[in-house]
Amino acid sequence: MMRNIHFLIAVALLAALPAIESPFIQSMALTCLMFAGLAVSWSMFSGPTRYLSLATSAFFGLGAYCTAWGLGKLPWPAVVMLGGCAAVVFAFAIGLITLRLRGAYFAVITYGLGELVKHSITHVEKTWFGTVGRVMTETPSSATVYWTVLAIAALAVWTYVAFGRSRYGHALRGIGMDEERAATLGVNPMRVKLIGFCLSAWFAGALGAAMAVRWTYIDPHTVFNPFIVFQTVLISMVGGPLTIGGPLIGALAFSLLSEFLRLSLPYLYMIILGVLLIVSVLYLPDGIAGYDWKRLWEKITRRKAPEEKP
Amino acid sequence: MQEKFAKRRTTLKAALAVAWGLTFASGFALADEPTVKVGYTQSRSGPFAAGSQTTQEPNYLLWADHVNASGGLNVQGKKRKIELVGVDDRSDIETMVRTYEKFMTTDKVDLVLPPWGTGANFAVAPVANKHGYPMVAPTALSQKLVDMKLPYYFVTLQQPKPMMAALVDMLAANGVKTVVVTYMDDLFGLENIGALEPLLKEKNIQVLDKKSYPLGVKDLSPMLKGMKAANPDAFIGITYPPDNFLVTGQAKEIGFAPKIFYTAVGTAFPIYRERMGKASEGTMGMGSWNPKMSKAAKTYFDAHVALNKKEPDRWASAHAWAALEILQQTVEKVGLDRKAMRDHIAKTEFDTVLGKMKFNGTEEVGVPGMVGQWQNGEFEIVWPPARATAKAVMPKVWN
Repeated sequence: MMRNIHFLIAVALLAALPAIESPFIQSMALTCLMFAGLAVSWSMFSGPTRYLSLATSAFFGLGAYCTAWGLGKLPWPAVVMLGGCAAVVFAFAIGLITLRLRGAYFAVITYGLGELVKHSITHVEKTWFGTVGRVMTETPSSATVYWTVLAIAALAVWTYVAFGRSRYGHALRGIGMDEERAATLGVNPMRVKLIGFCLSAWFAGALGAAMAVRWTYIDPHTVFNPFIVFQTVLISMVGGPLTIGGPLIGALAFSLLSEFLRLSLPYLYMIILGVLLIVSVLYLPDGIAGYDWKRLWEKITRRKAPEEKP
Repeated sequence: MQEKFAKRRTTLKAALAVAWGLTFASGFALADEPTVKVGYTQSRSGPFAAGSQTTQEPNYLLWADHVNASGGLNVQGKKRKIELVGVDDRSDIETMVRTYEKFMTTDKVDLVLPPWGTGANFAVAPVANKHGYPMVAPTALSQKLVDMKLPYYFVTLQQPKPMMAALVDMLAANGVKTVVVTYMDDLFGLENIGALEPLLKEKNIQVLDKKSYPLGVKDLSPMLKGMKAANPDAFIGITYPPDNFLVTGQAKEIGFAPKIFYTAVGTAFPIYRERMGKASEGTMGMGSWNPKMSKAAKTYFDAHVALNKKEPDRWASAHAWAALEILQQTVEKVGLDRKAMRDHIAKTEFDTVLGKMKFNGTEEVGVPGMVGQWQNGEFEIVWPPARATAKAVMPKVWN
């Protein structure tokens, strides 16, 4: 109950952000929310099942293209919905084939299918519409985009928690621990995985649809950008994908830190960021949220204690 | 122990004194007039980095160095030093939008310079326009961007139409009857092919073969073999780096040597000459200047090499420099009032390294489309005759 209230207060505060009229703070928050949404939705499926999906870029790009096609013809909420649904349809289609694979095979094939979508879209655009890039001129205001992304991210958080508590969430965790055992205990692994995969795809697609209008012009290379999925996975890993706090902390820390370093140390930030990532992977294998901070604190205080003796 | 500590303390004191002295000294140096803050993002990492670091950022650095060495930017008679605030945009469009928003609203910089690339300009131009910052861009190539008619946005680079018109006129003048065309599957490729085809038809030049290829292609030899079999007078590649290295290398391998061999963007990069070696000789491409063109061009070339330790490219680099010259002349005339700057840029004819420049809406219309060709290590302008620095050498020979 308390947690629900905290969550609602946080969302309400974030929703009031456009009132301070600082476009930079607002777009910084937008970036944090986008990556929070992506990381939470990625963790929703990949966290419990330990299936490393690299299809997020494809979902994101499909959503963005739905906006490019639908903007001006459909109302804004419908465009965003459609973006999410396109990603779900795609996730369902590839899920049927790829969810039988595990480990590196699954990661590689989801990545490869993303590339396939990119080139398919290029082909469709060129042969049917005679264009490749698309220009969006009548775009919604930046506050509208911000609220949309906030709503999707908040919905992702709520879904993560609710889904994790549901029958399906338990089943997914069961599959992550031992897929054969889960099947023996009466779980239909294919069905459960497919539901989880499609659910997580919706958010990435909707986020792509909402973000696309920020760039006026999109082409397959900007929206099917593999860095989107690499960053999403990185954020979830550094934050820790097994609790809701993990991807949220990860997105916040990663976005703010990389922005701060980029602006203050323009020539060094990449090196520093790289070192920090290596350190966090080596010393925080379960992510920031998965680390036992309490024990560390006890260790530090206990070690200090003898020094105080005369 | 105590001694060591004391020593450390002295060092610390000394360091503090030096730091304080430095701040003080620099404070004095700047005390007379405030600096002119100029914000920009360029791609120092990611896929745009090669283009950005060849064509654009070296010019920004050169400009600040050049202006500050002469005492500062002339703001209606007052000399003010330029303070560049340049950050990496990681070749990421969202990062660019966010950073320019920061420059224009939080930092309230005096001027902004554009990012590199057409996609980047599509995203940033409306932001600049919204906040009323004039932006003069060298590296944006799209009729669609021009057609958006953003009042605060200007492009100094020739757009697809004039570039393709120059190419076709040159082909016709050299008696070319048949061509093969390849182009990249993106906005750049499609807009250029859209401009090229009607022009070829007008001059009765026959297209024997036309093929497109996707970005990131790794092998074009089957396509080139087919084109060689068609035996055309000219090969036209609407290509970008790194594909024009690929096309050139593979055409050489199979000995595809038509009378004219043309590859589009990046042919004018010094790296094309370095990578391709002798195979670059005779290749034609998009360009608009070289140091032989004028005294101003030579001065610019030498200054660029002296500061950046690398040659500027023979196309958009000079357009980047011209954009900075336009900005500088505007500030000198009307100061830093951005509305007045925009109006001045929109209606004035400027003297630049590329000659007279003036804008019709977004598009620059003073400098014509041109064709260049590598000859003995220099990218000679071979068309139009009024701008030519050498005669075209034909046929293309691989050696």
